[in-house]
Amino acid sequence: MIENIAVAYPTDPLAIAGLWTALFLMLAIYSYPLWKENPVYRFAEHTFVATALAIGIIVNLQSLMNTAVTPLMKGSFLMIIPIILGLCMYFLLVPKQRWVSRYPIAILVGSSLGLGIASNPLPSIINQIISTVTPPKAGTAVWAMFPGSPTGDWFSFAFVAVGCVCATTYFLLTYEHTGPVKPVTIAGRYFIMLALGAYFGNTVLFRFSMLAERGQYILKVLGLVPL
Amino acid sequence: MSGQNIWDKLQNVDRRVFYWILFIALTVPFLSPIGLPITVTPSTQSFYDGLKSIQPGEVVVLSINSGVSAWGDCLPAMIASVHKVYDQGGKLIVWSIGYTDVDITWAKIKEKLPDVFSKWKEGENYVYFGYCPGQETNVALLATNIRAIYPKDVRGVSTDQIPLMKDINGANKIKFVLSSDTGDAQMYYIRQWKNGQVNYEKTGKPPTVAEMGIAMNKSGDMAYYLSGDEFGLVAGSRGAAELEALTGYKGDATITMDSISVSHVLLVLAIILTNISMFATRGKKK
Amino acid sequence: MSQIYKREMVFILAGVVAFVMILDYFFGKNIPGISGAGNLSSTLQTWALIIQLMAIGLGAINLIQVHYRQISRKTNMALYSAWFMVFFAILLLLGFYKLATGVEPYPYTWIFANVYVSLGATLYAITGFYIFSAAYRAFRARNIDAAILLIGGIFVLLANAPIGEVIWGGFPLIGNWFNNVGQVPGMRTFTVVGALGLLAYGFRALIGKERGFYSEVQ
Repeated sequence: MIENIAVAYPTDPLAIAGLWTALFLMLAIYSYPLWKENPVYRFAEHTFVATALAIGIIVNLQSLMNTAVTPLMKGSFLMIIPIILGLCMYFLLVPKQRWVSRYPIAILVGSSLGLGIASNPLPSIINQIISTVTPPKAGTAVWAMFPGSPTGDWFSFAFVAVGCVCATTYFLLTYEHTGPVKPVTIAGRYFIMLALGAYFGNTVLFRFSMLAERGQYILKVLGLVPL
Repeated sequence: MSGQNIWDKLQNVDRRVFYWILFIALTVPFLSPIGLPITVTPSTQSFYDGLKSIQPGEVVVLSINSGVSAWGDCLPAMIASVHKVYDQGGKLIVWSIGYTDVDITWAKIKEKLPDVFSKWKEGENYVYFGYCPGQETNVALLATNIRAIYPKDVRGVSTDQIPLMKDINGANKIKFVLSSDTGDAQMYYIRQWKNGQVNYEKTGKPPTVAEMGIAMNKSGDMAYYLSGDEFGLVAGSRGAAELEALTGYKGDATITMDSISVSHVLLVLAIILTNISMFATRGKKK
Repeated sequence: MSQIYKREMVFILAGVVAFVMILDYFFGKNIPGISGAGNLSSTLQTWALIIQLMAIGLGAINLIQVHYRQISRKTNMALYSAWFMVFFAILLLLGFYKLATGVEPYPYTWIFANVYVSLGATLYAITGFYIFSAAYRAFRARNIDAAILLIGGIFVLLANAPIGEVIWGGFPLIGNWFNNVGQVPGMRTFTVVGALGLLAYGFRALIGKERGFYSEVQ
């Protein structure tokens, strides 16, 4: 088994200053939840907003140069049109001529909608319905309650099929959920609650992993664990 | 204050106490890792089986759509995947459609795999294009014209002059996409690459997609994995630890599992405690 | 008449662009000039990308306006806003130097690696604290729905943590089943219903019924 590669602690003073600056800023941000709101936290917060905005602008400009400006310089004169349209976006700031900005927005909206409307039904609707009604193949591990168990496969398949119908019924809002439909919608609500419970469990894993990585960073900068 | 029993006091504990307990519980296990065994789930096994199916010379895309904030969940899986692509003799195209700090992430991957990048040649075995924003529009364009988005790589070398990209200008020559993301980027590839109307030469098969993302994607993407739109799903630091166990590369995810164990047990105990106090005080109020 | 180029022409433009994308997706191979590199669909997508890239300036202008107001009114946040403006200007100058010369200056690299990366990761990770206190205060089995949520959450938590297997072998068994099968009905329903909603919203937007993102102006 290959072990995790440890990087040597830097010796360059600027690199060490960088590590400790990052640690200071991190602790400045955590001073808010761990203690209370304070000027150091505010300073770090404003530093981040300034940095994120500036870097976002520079990166976007770099991409703009690659996709629009450079082809324009090389003779692709049609590129002047999207550049002009992009500048038209700034008419949002001029109240009387704000309507000019609707044209570039229309292209953005049309492009996103077109891509979404065309491509979304297949994976998000059709394939999901096919998967719900397709019986499990023998030995498909993901289905089984007990690996290698056909009974487990079929139980899981029935669970998903019934659950999908019940949960979809819960979202049908065009008629009242009374009479024979009511127990189906109640069951649908329970299936949704189970899904949200699992989602919560996975969310906790994600959030705690991020926080653990930050905790590990403190130990790395202090030299208690390898960098 | 008078008349308050232990359950009332527990319900009114200052939240900062919990924050400190949690932060210490997450940090201390790194000092002496235990290394509990990790069982592999089917979705991670499928992901690994997909990596093992790479034949020498086949090209794989690594789309890094997660930032430094998601390193805990995504970076170990990316490192293990790149190592496996190298082991299989495959080639790698790397880009990002969503995050500005992809340069740092790619630099970290190269730093953690010196045995791979000392032998791999940039331009022949792998190429790194960097970041271009645009989300799904970007992905749709990349399916048919990579050069429109990336006319050159990060070194400034024209894409036409990169040996790896000689016959590649779209999705039709790519085996599959490994999408490391914090949200929906894998959906863009499923919609535009796997299911899109791209002219697939020779193989006649569109590239498939696998996801190695944050833990929440285990919930959101399981439906796509079961329907066959994704051939593998590695979610969260747990999924990354499972992939590390399969690839034989013990990395940060395996080390993080001890911290995750302690913090999760703490949270479960807190939830059980709060429910006991709720039932205890509810009986008292009645 | 004046409203036609302020409203109707806008809807028609969005509709035409969307229609070209839909044509490209379903029939692109059979209609010349629509699909493939350099053709209509690809050109429109490139234009949309370029417009997106240029839009970040709006956010920058808005933020600068907000912070300038803080400074001019000498509020208690004025000092922080001044620091924001100064640091933003310094970083922007360094970035322009990088764009002009193609060489990334060391201060820019240093700030990116040690300030931006650290702060970004830290701010994202701060939610871990809040999820803990929220779970402690709010995650109570008050009724059947909450109890199911709780049970699902606890089993998945202990399946994700390796220690769950050590405590009881049933935790990873049941927890992984919840992850692989139990949550699928709910999540699949969200996916299908969400996609149907997108279709409905998309068609409404294309026929001009949804006007929210066109920011109605007198």
